[in-house]
Amino acid sequence: MIINEFLAALLSILSSPEALMMALFAVTLGVILGALPGISSTMAIAVLLPVTFGMETQLAILFLLGVFISSVYGGSISAILINIPGTPAAMVTQLDGYPMCKAGLGGQALKYALYASTVGGVIGIVLLIVISPWMAKAAGSMRSPEFAAIAALGLVMLAFASGKSPLRGVLVGLLGLMCGMIGFDTVTDVERFTYNSVTMQGGVDIVTMMLGIFGLSEVMKNLAGASNPIHGKPGMGNAKLPIWRVLARWKAAIRGSLVGALIGCVPAIGSSIAVSVAYAQEARLSKDKDSFGKGNPDGVVAPEAANSSSIGGSLIPMMTLGIPGDTVTAVLMGALLMHGLRPGPMLFTNNPEFFASVYAALLIGVVATLIVGLLLARWIVKIMGLPPRILLTGIAVLCVVGSFAIRNSISDVFIMVFFGVIGYILHLLRLPAAPLAFGLILGPILEENLRRSLLISRGSWSVFIERPLSLGILTVTLLVLLLPMLSALCRRWSNSMRRTA
Amino acid sequence: MKVRKVALLLSLIVFGMGGVVGAQAQSFPKKAISLVVVWPAGGSHDIAARMVAENIDKSLGEPVVITNVTGAAGSNGMRHVAQAEPDGYTIGLMGMHALVQSFMNPNAPSLDSFEPLVFMAQEPGSLQVRSDLGINNIEEYVQKLKDSPGSLIHGNDAMGGNTFVYTKLLEEYFDVELTKVPYPGHAANTGALVSGEIESAAMPVSTIAQHHEAGTVKTLGVMAEERSSLLPDVPTFKEQGHNLVSGDYYIFFMPKGVPDEVAQTLESAFLKAIQNPALQQRMEDMGMTSSPGGRDIARQVLAEQEAIIYPILLNGDLVHESLIK
Repeated sequence: MIINEFLAALLSILSSPEALMMALFAVTLGVILGALPGISSTMAIAVLLPVTFGMETQLAILFLLGVFISSVYGGSISAILINIPGTPAAMVTQLDGYPMCKAGLGGQALKYALYASTVGGVIGIVLLIVISPWMAKAAGSMRSPEFAAIAALGLVMLAFASGKSPLRGVLVGLLGLMCGMIGFDTVTDVERFTYNSVTMQGGVDIVTMMLGIFGLSEVMKNLAGASNPIHGKPGMGNAKLPIWRVLARWKAAIRGSLVGALIGCVPAIGSSIAVSVAYAQEARLSKDKDSFGKGNPDGVVAPEAANSSSIGGSLIPMMTLGIPGDTVTAVLMGALLMHGLRPGPMLFTNNPEFFASVYAALLIGVVATLIVGLLLARWIVKIMGLPPRILLTGIAVLCVVGSFAIRNSISDVFIMVFFGVIGYILHLLRLPAAPLAFGLILGPILEENLRRSLLISRGSWSVFIERPLSLGILTVTLLVLLLPMLSALCRRWSNSMRRTA
Repeated sequence: MKVRKVALLLSLIVFGMGGVVGAQAQSFPKKAISLVVVWPAGGSHDIAARMVAENIDKSLGEPVVITNVTGAAGSNGMRHVAQAEPDGYTIGLMGMHALVQSFMNPNAPSLDSFEPLVFMAQEPGSLQVRSDLGINNIEEYVQKLKDSPGSLIHGNDAMGGNTFVYTKLLEEYFDVELTKVPYPGHAANTGALVSGEIESAAMPVSTIAQHHEAGTVKTLGVMAEERSSLLPDVPTFKEQGHNLVSGDYYIFFMPKGVPDEVAQTLESAFLKAIQNPALQQRMEDMGMTSSPGGRDIARQVLAEQEAIIYPILLNGDLVHESLIK
């Protein structure tokens, strides 16, 4: 049983002061890099990869996974404090995290996020240990129709995660979908919407867009006097959060974690969809629906837990099949290759020690993130005490530097500014901005898999209902879409019955 | 006065004769060198570049910094290098994509705007099918396609990608027709082969080796001169009587017009780094066949590749009308 190897690996890390120092060091770096807008988990790991060249394999795994886990939490820091998601999946955390911050509860929101991601991380690891063979099988049997169906589900979910009017969310999401079409078409390699311009050929990068619609537009909003994030300077006192208030939200944390772990193993889009599903689910189950989007802590806890528990899930296809589902796991796999480990079905059956050491490294990473996060929280909150002129200038600079850093291209800076203006216009029109970014993430995946499914089925749409898995996902999608309408109809009907009676 | 002039002259001659390398160590490099990788961080090109950059610092005296200039199927990065000052401080790492894009995309820089610097390694392509298909060798594979053209569903990159080129090569060489389904990248393509969405693929050996060993897929042949160390039991196409050799390659290059002595310094520093035994071992683990060579070899490899790839693209009607030779 792998439990024994797991405990052995855990002990060997805990008994080595060098390894523990390494974990804390990795986690500190990860939190900081993750919190910087424009540096995603992928880039954080890639940049720190050469540091591990000289290390032993086990230490290298510990270091890289520590960076991975902590950068995921780091992403929520900037999302909560300055409304810029440090990593794409933190986009949902800010829907309630930033309003909390504006209400002077930034420190508390950070701690909710931290505790939730610890819970999520641990649950994710437990599930990874217990059910990874089955998850691997499920992940390995997913084909294009399923991917298309899941992307459709994600789009529907995001509509509900984006405020009071799902219709407005969907409309903005469709715009995002179209932004995803700019550049080379992945199926035929034909240029679309590029107007033969070199700038447009590269397409729109998700991070560039996020920096614009969340970061720069926030600066513009402040300049226009529309909102003021600096309400009464949240001091140290506001960072205090009694543990019982966290424990009171255990339901949201557990639900979020389960959603994250299950959806996380879907390659490529796992974490983005998991967070939006977790958020929409919480918003629907809550007794206090109206408070979502205005600073409900459950709106921070659930997506953060999902985000963190999806890490375990996202590692499954890479470790068991040797197929990295997203860019982060692709970089991790590259790192393992360099250390002479070739993840895949053979390693999975022949080398349980390797898996045990990965699980142990994950667990240590989660705990180290909690420690470092708690230590850093009181300092980070002080950022909010900065005068607006310095804070806003800093945000604007981060947006420019971040968008340039993604691909080292000055045209991305212009694209960022463009989306900053778009973000501000959306704000003026009272439209949610998050669906734009979600559309950009999900659009290409939906389009590509839809077209590929039809290519393989030679044009027959029945492929989507013939496969049980895709039929199931599409049914859920339809239910999610129709439920509010049906329940509204029911209510109206029963009301009118009552009235006539 | 005169003595001083003579002394100056003498010292110049001494420097000029004996101190070519020494003199350059002072004049070049004076600052960090930017190595442009046209793919995002973490891909095999990026990792290869980082491995070399890690090894090169000591011999060059200045760090080599990786810059990922990505997008537009690699053309953004190629253009970045093409438009850089030819002073040796901006160089790049290219693969098959650069050659292909230079014919397909009129916005991609032409290969004439570059100078190959060092040939690092090659990563051969291969052909595999799902094991449950019951096809055991190339002959059976070809026969099945001859009997019913298009009967095999085959996954490959989008047009212009590496595995797309391997696939086109196969189709041309054996005069057969596959039902081609495009995937974004090798991971997705491998996933589809494992899930059974596709029946056949033409992947680089390193991505497929595990699944071959596990028995889910069967690799029918490797497109290299020699067998791959990752799949020692799989014969090459050549061994089976088919002259089919192709692969992605790793060539360091610079913009045209870099002064010769600067190019020489770079060439020897990069070669030295690549020949490091630890790095050679790592490359082998990653499925690359390393046969490092300087500017002449790099130029020769590039010319050979062009001779293979251009006709295929032309036959496939993929060369942009303005770029037909």
